[in-house]
Amino acid sequence: MSRADASPPAPPAPLPDRTGSPGDATSDGIVAVGVRRSFGSVRAVDSITFTARPGRVTALVGPNGAGKTTLLLMLAGLLVPDAGTIRVAGHDPVTENVGVRAGTGWMPDTFGTWDSLTAREVLVTVGAAYFLGADQARKRADELLRTVHLDDLADAPARVLSRGQKQRLGLARALVHDPRVLLLDEPASGLDPRSRVDLRVLLRRLASEGRTVLVSSHVLTELDELADDAVFVSHGRTVRESSLASATGERRTWRLRALDPAVLTAWLEDTGVSFRRAADAASDEPGLSTAPDDGSVHVDLDDDESAAGLVRAAVLAGVPLVSVAPANGALEQVYLSLEEERR
Amino acid sequence: MSHVVEVTPEPGEAPTAPEPHRAPRPSETWRLRWHGVRTVVALELRQRVRSARWRVALGAWFVVCGLVTWLTFQASAQIVGPGYVGYADYDTDDGFGSSLDVTFHVPRGPLIFGLIVFFVLLAGFLVAPTLSAGAINGDRDAGTLATLQVTLLSPAEIAIGKLLAGWAAAVAFLVVALPFVIVSLAAGGVRVVSLAVTLVLLVVLLGVVCAIGLGFSALVSRTTASALLTYLTVLALTVGTVILFALTFPLITQTDDVPTYESSAVDGASCTWTTETTSRAHTERTWWLLAANPFVVVADAAPAAPAAARYGVPDPLGAIRDGVREARNGPAAREDWCGDASVAETKGSTAPVWPWGLGVDLLLGVGAVWLTVRRLRIPQGTLPRGTRVA
Repeated sequence: MSRADASPPAPPAPLPDRTGSPGDATSDGIVAVGVRRSFGSVRAVDSITFTARPGRVTALVGPNGAGKTTLLLMLAGLLVPDAGTIRVAGHDPVTENVGVRAGTGWMPDTFGTWDSLTAREVLVTVGAAYFLGADQARKRADELLRTVHLDDLADAPARVLSRGQKQRLGLARALVHDPRVLLLDEPASGLDPRSRVDLRVLLRRLASEGRTVLVSSHVLTELDELADDAVFVSHGRTVRESSLASATGERRTWRLRALDPAVLTAWLEDTGVSFRRAADAASDEPGLSTAPDDGSVHVDLDDDESAAGLVRAAVLAGVPLVSVAPANGALEQVYLSLEEERR
Repeated sequence: MSHVVEVTPEPGEAPTAPEPHRAPRPSETWRLRWHGVRTVVALELRQRVRSARWRVALGAWFVVCGLVTWLTFQASAQIVGPGYVGYADYDTDDGFGSSLDVTFHVPRGPLIFGLIVFFVLLAGFLVAPTLSAGAINGDRDAGTLATLQVTLLSPAEIAIGKLLAGWAAAVAFLVVALPFVIVSLAAGGVRVVSLAVTLVLLVVLLGVVCAIGLGFSALVSRTTASALLTYLTVLALTVGTVILFALTFPLITQTDDVPTYESSAVDGASCTWTTETTSRAHTERTWWLLAANPFVVVADAAPAAPAAARYGVPDPLGAIRDGVREARNGPAAREDWCGDASVAETKGSTAPVWPWGLGVDLLLGVGAVWLTVRRLRIPQGTLPRGTRVA
């Protein structure tokens, strides 16, 4: 699975004039080193170190309570870290808070709305709060309402919007001032499948314009096709930072299905490839994707190349293969392997 | 395909030692731009004006004010209206004895004006906390405060904007009540300048209460708690000061040797100076307790009519004004019990006390705004208990 295939075709957006060399995380991206933050005796973020580069979508992955939201609050300049250093869009959120705010779009996980304002008014108000001129703010609001497909609801009070629509409005709000860095906390929660696809296309486009996009989520399938890099956090610590390209080079589980399951299992037994029935795996490994028992089997393979080899051999042997695919997403695979390491 | 794992921090390793707290530049915190303040005010007012509750409240308030004004007119007619015989009648021949239903026109204006102004002030003090005491913590609950904080608005702009919006809403109540205050002028005896000064002070005092509400809403996390604290503060200012003033009487009462001009014990006809030992309350030490009372500030600030015009006219504002200025003077250094004007100690200064009271109230308001701005600074170091940033 290569990134080029997964990402939707990016519209030919003109690259905005940006200072600093492209791809420089220090001036345009996010650099966090040893960030720590406690609330009373609760250590929400213990030690997080990562880099998010411009032009790429970075996934912040971790279970609930791993410290993702707290980390984003620090990156957005809302919370002081107890220790560690942060640079966002070339500024320190503590000493140069305004600089960070000017260059950063933050979308909280719960998007409170000003209830009696319409979607358009919300965006115009936020534009004014970023000191855009009145005309400019209106123009920007219209533009963004189209981007997030809320133009038909532009003049409805924000309180009548559904959760997914509010979420999209929240995303538009984070984009009002054309930020170089985007911090999105669970942006896809509450979105319908169509909106998820739209979100993915939009975030890919924003990244292709040279912005840094950091997306937190615990829904791994959602990030799989979106992110270039992944930062895994657990219990307030960075457990691993990797590019997704490396994740696809890992040993992972593949799911094979044939027209006649008996032929497939017989052939696998003959060739000496260890396998297990997918239906069994569903109960043993709750993390793996589950499906009704259609005779599929799971096979652990070292990398994509060995998968290709297995398919070639099976087809040559006359096994009526219907589908061969990773049993779970790349992120999910890494995530689960980390979980195993911890045990 | 490469197998790149870029960073894997060692567990248990603390990469950097805790650093001393760094803070954003104060100039950014206190930056006030008209555009920023206007943005916050527009946002707050827009939310408020659109809620039906608000229009219902103003409508109800108009009706209540009308009702109170009508009652005040009725009641004042009972007290000073037709049928009341003024003192002056007894001094004039044509009035005395010739007719029993002689009426002397005593202006009812000061009484009506005073009652209505106090009613409006009281109601304003009840309304103002509800308009501002949820401004910060309410927004924090709704998840809209951080949304505003991450924009380029400075903490001062957010605080002042919210204060002005709450204040404007409180002043709207005053404006609705205005026709009834003006009606009292028709009853006579109240000067237009008194009306103007009183209105200005009402506006300022409502602003102070709004600021106090704002301060508490920034200080505590629950809106009910901040509203309660604001009401308690208002209660302390309006009632607490009077009670405290009364309670301090034992402390300020002392036995003085007072030079007294009184009838001579020898012949009873002529007056002589003697020294009497009397127990007197030295209110000149505690008058400031009363001065901080907003009702006293309003009453004291309205310019008094000339003494002659006020004689015998029931005037609650005037009574408070005289009382508090007398309290400020304290007991006289010498007392004249003989009624000889040539010897009588002239009353001390009748300087107004309201500038002091207003100063104290304004300090409270400014302090509350200062606190609010400080609490709105980001990034936040410590969080108030039980709150989240967003």
